[in-house]
Amino acid sequence: MGNVTAYLTRKSRSLAGYVLDPIRTFKTFVAGRFKNRLAVDHPSHQDVEALRTSFNTRYRHFRSLLTANNNALQAMAELEKLYYSGESYRMAEARSKIVAILVNVYKIVRNLREMTSGKYAELESRFEKISDDITTIIESKPSFKIGPFILPLSQINRKLRRQTGDKMANLGEISCLPGIMVPQGFVITASATNHFITDVHLAEINRRLQILETDDLEGLYKTCADLQQMVREIPLPPDFEELLQMQYGMLEKSAPGCLVAMRSSAVGEDVAGISFAGLYTTILDVDRDHLSEAYKRVIAGKYSPRAIAYRRRRGVRHEDIEMCVGCLVMVDAKVSGVAYSSYPIGSARQKIRIVATPGLAKGVVDGTNSSDIFLANWQPPYAVVHSEDSTDSIEKRAESRGNPLLSQAQLQELCEKIMLLEDHFKCPQDIEWSFDGRGGLHILQCRPIPQDIEEAAKEKTRDTTATSEDETAIIKGGVCAGDGIASGKVFKVFTSEDAQRFPHDAVLAVEYPLPEWAPLLNRASAVLAENGTEAGHLATVAREFSLPALFSLTDIMRNLENGQTITVDSSAKKIYQGCRKDLLIRKRPRRDLMAGSPVQRILTEALQHITPLNLNDPASHYFKAAWCETLHDITRYCHEKSVSEMFNFGEKIHFDQGMAKRLVADVPLQWWVINLADGFRRDIDEAQKSIDIKDIVSEPMLAIWQGISAYPWQGPPPLTTRGLGAIILQSTMRPELDPAVASKLIVKNYFLILKSYCNLSLRLGYHYAMIESYISDFLSESYITFRFKGGAADMRRKAVRARLLAEILREFGFRVELRSDALLARLKKQPRDYLIKRLQVLGYLSLHTRQIDMVMDQQDSVARYKSKFLREINEMLAAEPTPPGGAEHG
Amino acid sequence: MDKQYKLLLVDDEVEFLETTAKFLRKRHIECETADCCMQGLDLLSADHFDVVLMDMSMPGLNGLQCMAEMKKVQPDLKILILTGHGSLNAGINGMKQGAFNYCLKPINFEDLLEMILLARQAYKEND
Repeated sequence: MGNVTAYLTRKSRSLAGYVLDPIRTFKTFVAGRFKNRLAVDHPSHQDVEALRTSFNTRYRHFRSLLTANNNALQAMAELEKLYYSGESYRMAEARSKIVAILVNVYKIVRNLREMTSGKYAELESRFEKISDDITTIIESKPSFKIGPFILPLSQINRKLRRQTGDKMANLGEISCLPGIMVPQGFVITASATNHFITDVHLAEINRRLQILETDDLEGLYKTCADLQQMVREIPLPPDFEELLQMQYGMLEKSAPGCLVAMRSSAVGEDVAGISFAGLYTTILDVDRDHLSEAYKRVIAGKYSPRAIAYRRRRGVRHEDIEMCVGCLVMVDAKVSGVAYSSYPIGSARQKIRIVATPGLAKGVVDGTNSSDIFLANWQPPYAVVHSEDSTDSIEKRAESRGNPLLSQAQLQELCEKIMLLEDHFKCPQDIEWSFDGRGGLHILQCRPIPQDIEEAAKEKTRDTTATSEDETAIIKGGVCAGDGIASGKVFKVFTSEDAQRFPHDAVLAVEYPLPEWAPLLNRASAVLAENGTEAGHLATVAREFSLPALFSLTDIMRNLENGQTITVDSSAKKIYQGCRKDLLIRKRPRRDLMAGSPVQRILTEALQHITPLNLNDPASHYFKAAWCETLHDITRYCHEKSVSEMFNFGEKIHFDQGMAKRLVADVPLQWWVINLADGFRRDIDEAQKSIDIKDIVSEPMLAIWQGISAYPWQGPPPLTTRGLGAIILQSTMRPELDPAVASKLIVKNYFLILKSYCNLSLRLGYHYAMIESYISDFLSESYITFRFKGGAADMRRKAVRARLLAEILREFGFRVELRSDALLARLKKQPRDYLIKRLQVLGYLSLHTRQIDMVMDQQDSVARYKSKFLREINEMLAAEPTPPGGAEHG
Repeated sequence: MDKQYKLLLVDDEVEFLETTAKFLRKRHIECETADCCMQGLDLLSADHFDVVLMDMSMPGLNGLQCMAEMKKVQPDLKILILTGHGSLNAGINGMKQGAFNYCLKPINFEDLLEMILLARQAYKEND
């Protein structure tokens, strides 16, 4: 490790009074750097000590700044990766990256200010402003208006949905329609929930969700259990409890001893076509004594694993959803079910689709009951054109022989009401219904058909011939609950313990498509179930996630083996042995589930203050703290300023010429080395005017030098007349480019070195190149930056050369930004050996690409140079590394 | 000869303490654990530490208050705050009040290790 300051400190302590070479080097450096300011040519011992301390401090801050700079850029890259990946991410992950960026940019600003004794004060206010803007965006909450805690269903309509949730708002609205019967009841509003769950609880919930590891299913289940328990243990505020009992009392007046169903109804579910199908809790048969407990359990359902996993996948924060609870008198249901008012949507042949089951509708939506399916005409008298009996309810059917589940009259009444509801809401509806013992029809839920079902249905009408004719399927049949083709290894899940071990990209196989399995859909490639239909909640979620889902497959839990690789073609209702690539080519791309979600909207807005880079050109008039508009601008600005503050190198070169030593080496051109502290061997004579490459211990410099000296430079390429003309023209336009008038500095190549650091500045008359590197045992400290700009040829040829360089550098893993003839290549967070090899590549290129811009218009010359460069670089890298300090061309 | 350097872990979540300590010891980082700030301060007065890794939200003194107390005892201590609690501003405030680094969970253990080593290096350089 190049721990310069620690090294200097240790040495000066143990050998006080004895001036060692690195210190003398340092002294020379400092004297040169501070000569003008302090006006002393030969500083006294005391001055040197003070200056040494000052240098140490500056250098320490400089290094911290570089580390923070790398960490900030890394976190920005990771944040962009999250955002652009097309995969789902949690707000917690984004927030954690943003904190890392903020903290590191703050460190950058602080270190720059400390290394310059308080200059750049304006950066602080820029940083404060930008970080405040970002905080406001990230911590924004949906606006919320306080209202009554409880509202009777009969007084509710769509306008009140921000208080009651969509589900109950719809139910309230249709309760006023003629001929529509809904259960009596009331809604416990979002205002009540806010009264129940306070900011203190929310802070703890946020904390628990924040620390959740992204991929830790076990942790997810544990956190959910803890959060749900926490919610259940919050005492109900007494005023709220009293009101609840009072409202229940009023229900009891008309239905003595009644039991109620407590149903979730969430505010904010209507965003971005998100279904939230069956993710929340419904509790049936609740009596007076269990009202509070049931209420809390429904509220706690917001933190079930399935709800959290689903929100994460769809980019919805838990703050975006406010939970309300509908409290409805239980219907004594004889037959129940769900219905789609139009199916398939948009088809000329669309029908009313009814799924019915004996008793309560619960069995339809969680796939535990077999059901009968009816398709009826859209127009009165709603003739049934198709019906399917459930396959495994033969016993039940035998019991009720001669009594179909729904009579003709009931089907007709149901169809009438379904169409009435569609007419009212003016779009296809998904309806939950029950017939009671006296034949009364109750509507329990009514909402627009989720977008995904519409899309799936359209897909089906378009693509009915896409079924495979292949007869090699090992399993055929079932109900297609989600279209698609996918392959993977079978993983059977019977218990929640199995669920916690569910691997990525496996095919999920279950007996019942219970909503509990929804979290596994984040990692499954396909879903198979022995029971259930496409009307179930898990089917809805599978479709949203574009997963192939095949349900009602008899005995698959017995017929498939764990670990068996299969291909599921759910559209064709077939399963094949092995991975069938011939079928997988028909796979449709998954949709971007985050599109339009609250999390994505927030991040889109926040990124505007983080990643765009407006300060590109340090020479520009606008390269000022006041013009920093993003955190990236601040980072870029501070890096530039810190380098010039530390070394005053680059634009203004003020260092003492006497400090630079000419490098003795067998390579053409002049090379000069400035030792900043511990870049030379300890025993060299400080007075000598030259330095041998063997006496250099700077690891990055030696690597660059290996690249420079690996192959002899063949001199400038032969020019065409046109090429020469371009040089002459450029030289007249920019006199500093003319080699005849070039100043001493322009023709020299400078290495600024420490043991672990090197900054090589090449001003080769016509172009400017800079290689900077710090090599450390810590990945987050290590980096290489390469800048390249200019040339003597016209802009087009200069740009061609820059592009050639970019192509080669990308092959070696550099991240390259290219603007016209200006190139910036970077590597960060890579191990030592990897960086050393890349420095060799840069050393090679910085010598061998000299002046080739002149011939960049000649046919084939680009390709020729590229293949020559790649061949030689690969040969160089394959060769045994030369031991440090012993380069051949010493 | 280098001094022995030791890390102090302070968090009221015992599970996190144990997992982290186990991970660090496996990588030859000597560490002691405290489940609240007061216990941390006791350990600090009895032994020599270079780096403290601490959670923000603890019963009793919270992370920022605890950091202030620890800095009174040993001003050159490098304090890393690793927390799940967090408005974004809390991070900047933590830095302003002298934390060496402030991270919001989730963070992976390898990144954590590097962060500790960097803090340790900074401590040695000040030493």
